[in-house]
Amino acid sequence: MASPAAHREDTAPAPGPPLMEVTDLVKHFPITRGLLRRTVGHVRAVDGVSFTIGAGETVGLVGESGSGKSTVARLVLRLLDPTSGSVKFDGQEIAALSQRELTPLRRNMQIVFQDPVSSFDPRMTICSVITEPLEAQGISSGQQARDRAAELLDLVGLSSRDLDKYPHQFSGGQAQRIGIARALATNPRLLVCDEAVSALDVSVQAQVLNLLRKLQVELGLSYLFIAHDLNVVRYISDRICVMYLGRVVEQGPADAVMTDPKHPYTRTLAGAIAADPRTGGGTRRVVVRGEMPSPSNPPPGCPFHPRCPQAFDRCSTEVPAPLPAGEGGRTASCHLLDITAVNGKAVGR
Amino acid sequence: MHPQPLLEVDDLHVEFSTADGPVEAVAGVSFTVGPEETVAVVGESGSGKSVTALAVLKLLDGGRISGGQVRFDGEDLASLDNRAMRRVRGNDIAMIFQDPMTSLDPLYSIGHQIVEALRLHRPVSKKAARERAVELLEQVGMPDPRRRLASYPHQLSGGQRQRVMIAIALACSPRLLIADEPTTALDVTIEAQILELLHELQREYRTAMLLVTHDMGVVAEIADRVVVFYGGQVVEQGPTAQVLRDPQHPYTAALLAAIPHPDSAKELQLPAIPGAVPALRDMPTGCRFNPRCAMAWDDCTREVPPLYELPGGRTSRCLLHRDGGGSAVVAPPAPPLTAELAPAGPPARAPLTTQKGI
Amino acid sequence: MIEYVVRRVLYGLLVIALVTVFVFLTLRLIPGDVVRLQLADAPGVTQEQLDARAAALGLDQPLVAQLLKFLGDAFTGDFGISFQSQQPVTSIIAERLPITLQLGLMALIISIALGVPLGLLAAYKQNSWLDQSLRVVSVAGLSIPNFWLGLLLVTYLAIWFAWSPPLVYRSPTEDLVSNLTQMALPALALGVSGMAAIARMLRSSLLEVMRSNFVRTVRAKGAPERTVLLTHAVRNSLVPVFSLIGVQVGGILGGTVILESIFAIPGMGSMIFQAVQMRDYPVVLGAVVVFGAVFVTVNLVVDLLYGVIDPRIRYA
Repeated sequence: MASPAAHREDTAPAPGPPLMEVTDLVKHFPITRGLLRRTVGHVRAVDGVSFTIGAGETVGLVGESGSGKSTVARLVLRLLDPTSGSVKFDGQEIAALSQRELTPLRRNMQIVFQDPVSSFDPRMTICSVITEPLEAQGISSGQQARDRAAELLDLVGLSSRDLDKYPHQFSGGQAQRIGIARALATNPRLLVCDEAVSALDVSVQAQVLNLLRKLQVELGLSYLFIAHDLNVVRYISDRICVMYLGRVVEQGPADAVMTDPKHPYTRTLAGAIAADPRTGGGTRRVVVRGEMPSPSNPPPGCPFHPRCPQAFDRCSTEVPAPLPAGEGGRTASCHLLDITAVNGKAVGR
Repeated sequence: MHPQPLLEVDDLHVEFSTADGPVEAVAGVSFTVGPEETVAVVGESGSGKSVTALAVLKLLDGGRISGGQVRFDGEDLASLDNRAMRRVRGNDIAMIFQDPMTSLDPLYSIGHQIVEALRLHRPVSKKAARERAVELLEQVGMPDPRRRLASYPHQLSGGQRQRVMIAIALACSPRLLIADEPTTALDVTIEAQILELLHELQREYRTAMLLVTHDMGVVAEIADRVVVFYGGQVVEQGPTAQVLRDPQHPYTAALLAAIPHPDSAKELQLPAIPGAVPALRDMPTGCRFNPRCAMAWDDCTREVPPLYELPGGRTSRCLLHRDGGGSAVVAPPAPPLTAELAPAGPPARAPLTTQKGI
Repeated sequence: MIEYVVRRVLYGLLVIALVTVFVFLTLRLIPGDVVRLQLADAPGVTQEQLDARAAALGLDQPLVAQLLKFLGDAFTGDFGISFQSQQPVTSIIAERLPITLQLGLMALIISIALGVPLGLLAAYKQNSWLDQSLRVVSVAGLSIPNFWLGLLLVTYLAIWFAWSPPLVYRSPTEDLVSNLTQMALPALALGVSGMAAIARMLRSSLLEVMRSNFVRTVRAKGAPERTVLLTHAVRNSLVPVFSLIGVQVGGILGGTVILESIFAIPGMGSMIFQAVQMRDYPVVLGAVVVFGAVFVTVNLVVDLLYGVIDPRIRYA
């Protein structure tokens, strides 16, 4: 299949500098207590996360609730200020920029939320919803902005006749299309989709996923795609980062990570995915005991070791570093991979 | 099929009154659940699946059963008065809900809430009830059950709260458990734990289960039979494996095809169903699925298809079966990525968001 | 928990100090001068006499020095000497505070004892004629100023029944009936707005709770409506209402200033009223500090009781 940006499985990362480069990103929320509100601990929401997003690439971020994936989304857009670490967009460091300096950059990075309707002002017409970012950025206004809104509605599969309608007149799927149109208004290069299809019905979810992929091909967009449905993430992503307790435990090409997971946690997740129902069912999933600990009190060593069936003594003392785990720049943060190296396999650190 | 069903929903109609007059959320639904059987009711939002589940226990908020019967063990629940109905709830039929975060009273300890469920139907002392509560918590896999009695809901994770809900539901050993999207709000690994737990306890307690879900994966995993809802009607039902492998209604086929699965080809579009789920007030004439159906023809817009009986204890509401025999339903093929996208459908009228449970 | 209380008390002291400073400065901005008010009528008053009186009252000092002296003394429980009666302010307050506390407590009890059942009733009979009339009553109760309501009560009781409350104060130990008869009307006038606020909030809170998921769970257990309502719904709906009580106390304390004067009750309110008229600065300031302390304490107690009702509240 030779569709343009279709599938880049197992190929080397796109040449040239990545569109976004995140290095050692940390976000700790302080827990304060006592008379003087002294800090007695931190919620380690994001604890040293690194990944890159190439131009025209989709990177999927998966993990259970509390893993820090939504915090990462807000950090890379600077909707939250990172505690430390670096976020480079198109080579420019944005982690330390002031909000004023960020404003012109914001048009390049937009976000689509889970629940579009609640993020719209119910008294604004669809036209004003979409043109709001254009006017805020001083890109265009008046008839020019309206024309752009009509063009955007057409692009997302709605009609310019809908311009003067109100958000409540649309179904969930249509509202999410409007959310996408608004995000695209400023011609961004990166779109962060935070559970953007999670609330939609299956039949409509497929429409929106198709739309996102078509827009990517046509506009050369990059996506940071966050969802808890692993089949959805795998379908849309070129690469996947698996997060657990604020860290990326494994990353690599989407299919490779899900079919041949190298980290025990990824194996857990992959095993918990329901099989294709069209096989008729009857298959049971792998069930792992326990739940993810609180990020305010993470276990020492590897964050997954209390639930890991393969944990050994080193796992409870030493935080594993990302180790190479296969082609396509795969890495996994697991001491087991290190043992393989020690045992003579030709895997260099 | 079981000779004597435990639950028989027979031509059930449910109406909600709104500012613009009554709307029908469930329009003549029939299905059965046998003793110890697991039946999944599956559908998208607005299909009437949750409303049907709530109607069985008559817990409809703002809605009422406007026709039909709900027979439990031969007795019509729809005609019972409140007092008689209370003896059924939690005793013969128990229910667990979608959102474990808000389904427990935040001001009472979980011990209190389990004991309450027990003592409403069983003449046991508080002390004995507490012992039974510990036992129940242990059965639902709650770590340190005795100490947990004193915990409040906010001190538990979502998965643990759903375990408490299950303990409450099983307190009086009901013969039917209605589970309304019990794992939708949970993470995948927790979902797998809860489904396994439900399955185990169901066998142990010899309870039948009516599982309401939108997730075909969950259906495939634990249901014996599946009932597919669309637009307030049953469009297809039958044994799970057969329905999922060889769907007879175009909606079932299209829904199954639209789900991304591990083998979804990335160079193709997902075979989406065009348009949107119809609003309750704007149901299409004829077959309710016809505007979105790839196989629809003229008759589909005029004629309301009945439920056709098919071999193997299956039924399907599609005119393709009119001339007898199985239909030639095929899932629409996945179009290439560059193909035209399925249309989003016309803007709906104001969706009925004011009523709960639709 | 103890740290929380200590922190709240310290914040409370800060609030009282700031309010005191504000009132101190505001009093000096009011035209009129205590020395002239006291001596103006005396014939042939000389400037020397005025200065001497000012010096005697400590008013010759710079403003900042007066303020600091007052704050320092107040911290040790000494509010100075009344300009008017020459008695220590502390002992005047000790005499009058219990009377006002009794009135305030009666007003609070009236607002809760009427507001809670009315709110429950309105929610239970939602959209009935009863609910509609209670809505009208509540809006009226919230809009009518309490002193005006007090005047209306006195006037119309006098006109219709030729009855008026006793105008000489008797302590409850002395003559309980006379005491309560005198206090009843001002307490009612003070409590009505609180009653209306509580009824309105409880109504909407209960209706919201009745629609919540956990109430559905209780029904699904097979609980009778009585259990649903009394054990679960009402208790949950009272949580937001509870925080209203702290605010009510502020309104009630403010209301006593006029109402005690109208009904000739020798409490803190009427004392403030007279003291402001006579520019009796130490008395006004002392009263402000005491009212501030009462308000801060009540709100602290309310917040602590919150934790008793709602296990989700943690003090950190």
